[in-house]
Amino acid sequence: MVYVKWGLRAIFWIAVLAFLHYTLPQHDIARITDTYEKRVNPGENALFWSNAATGENVNATERDVFFIQTFLTDDDPMIYRNEDTGWGWPPYFKFDTANLQAEASDHLSKKSAEAAQWVAIRHYGWRNEFLSIYPNAISLWAVEGPEARIVPWFNIVVLTLLAAAWWAIRVRWNRFWERRGQPEGGEWREAAE
Amino acid sequence: MIALLRLLIFGGIALGVVYLGLSWYFRAAHRERMERDWEAAGRPGNREAYVAEGMAQYARSLRRRLLWLVFVLPVTAVGLIVWITNFN
Repeated sequence: MVYVKWGLRAIFWIAVLAFLHYTLPQHDIARITDTYEKRVNPGENALFWSNAATGENVNATERDVFFIQTFLTDDDPMIYRNEDTGWGWPPYFKFDTANLQAEASDHLSKKSAEAAQWVAIRHYGWRNEFLSIYPNAISLWAVEGPEARIVPWFNIVVLTLLAAAWWAIRVRWNRFWERRGQPEGGEWREAAE
Repeated sequence: MIALLRLLIFGGIALGVVYLGLSWYFRAAHRERMERDWEAAGRPGNREAYVAEGMAQYARSLRRRLLWLVFVLPVTAVGLIVWITNFN
């Protein structure tokens, strides 16, 4: 039973961490080498594609998606999709996909370039080759060089608030059940004694 | 527009549940504090009247009204995120 209990707890916490890791924004320093548009046909991986109803028909099974092709500072390729999240989940309220694509194509910088142009890319999501899923780029801006560091203030604040809320509820929950477990006395106790 | 409507409706419901839950919890906590106060003050007069007086004060207090932040803060946050993501 102990193993089951700890197993369930582990699954729960792994799910929570995975959810946060997928949803919260992260920043990459990268060099954009190309931007393109590709027809996608989400199937089993549909969960990892956003299909925000920002005006167009959401029932179409195929659609064109913008992509941003980059190399990270360790020279590994990273491909971002560039999709609206609209009013849906995750709550980035992104509607400026086409504008972002224009900004991305304005920062192209190939390996052969004399002075490489590095950009910070804010994104959420995961890259997985087996599932054909891509992180969604939220915004990007030029940075000095590959050593640029971005302090994740937003994540610090959100995680602190989440931890505080979890702690506040947990403390009250425990206190509630402790009080229940220890009757203050009264006629039932007297009768038992 | 359907997506915006969905967000408004379900977000409103979720915030309403949070608001009602918190307001119930804070009121219960305040009542308990009033009851303890009454005993600490040497049981002056009627207990019910003492607690009712305390609850009436609480209903008018700033602390009670701050609970509207449950609605104000998320709506402000959404507005801020829309601006930062799209227009900044």
